[in-house]
Amino acid sequence: MNADEQDLVLRTASGEGHYPDAEPELPPRARGAIGLIEENCTVCMLCARECPDWCLYIDSHKEPLPPLGPQGRPRVRNVLDRFAIDFSLCMYCGICIEVCPFDALFWTPEFAYAGLAATDLVHERDLLGEWMASVPEPPALDPAAAPAPEATDAAATERGTAPPR
Amino acid sequence: MTPDEVVAALGAVQASMSYDDIVVDVPREQWATAVTAARDDLHLTFFDFLTGVDLLDDGFEVVVRLWSLSGRAGLQLRTRCPRADPTVSSLSGIFAGADWHERQAAELFGLGFVGHPRLDPLLLPPGFEGHPLRKEFVLTARVEKVWPGGKEPGESAVEAAGSRRRKHLPLGVPPTGRP
Repeated sequence: MNADEQDLVLRTASGEGHYPDAEPELPPRARGAIGLIEENCTVCMLCARECPDWCLYIDSHKEPLPPLGPQGRPRVRNVLDRFAIDFSLCMYCGICIEVCPFDALFWTPEFAYAGLAATDLVHERDLLGEWMASVPEPPALDPAAAPAPEATDAAATERGTAPPR
Repeated sequence: MTPDEVVAALGAVQASMSYDDIVVDVPREQWATAVTAARDDLHLTFFDFLTGVDLLDDGFEVVVRLWSLSGRAGLQLRTRCPRADPTVSSLSGIFAGADWHERQAAELFGLGFVGHPRLDPLLLPPGFEGHPLRKEFVLTARVEKVWPGGKEPGESAVEAAGSRRRKHLPLGVPPTGRP
């Protein structure tokens, strides 16, 4: 028995170092629950349409916006009323996260959200938003990679040479 | 065991490789004789599994995987049967273990196995109607539940129900099951 194994046996026997006594060490890209940044969601419905399990529920309504100028037309925008994920149906495929064009959905390392009934696993947007706090930073870019477009845009803006939008 | 040896022993047209398994297609009439030859001549004495594949208009495929304990190699035999007459001969007389696999394929795909001693349902509850692994089989949940993606952005459920525009349709749900 090497030192690592010995250590494991001792820690197991003492009941220390294991969940729930200690938080587990999760791999950086662990797929736990799915978190939502509500501000990024434009209610495009892509995630709900792509979900193979039909486990994403979105309610929304339209709200009028004042016209941009005196000649402008009145505009409307979509407002999110409900965003819920039924984790009793979710199979953690991540298609909703992949398909979201505005980066509103993220994998979080959260895993302790069990309930006593299947209906307790429908989690609404407030909890999905709270889970965002535990999302780890994205891995650093490869040293040889091109700079991120946000970074180049920000630098261009500072220099006053921002590309026309 | 090489693909060429398998082709020669089974009188098949050609063999291909799928991962580490040799895969051979045989005509439906030679199904039982090919499996017998594989067991006796190629020493594939271990019956691994038998299952069906729904190929829609191309009928059904029946797949059996055999394993050679001495040669440590696997062989998949496949045959096709038309949708109008989805029957193949039973392998239960060649491998006793094929009995339950054929019962399972019979109830899940609606296949017939000619010569099977008792093709009773194995897994489904009594009175179950339909063959759930057929592609035209519609899940109850896909009929009972309203598709959450059926709404347009900014549209309430009431508006969506009353709307006369052409609706988005959920993928993977047979037309008969669409609400």
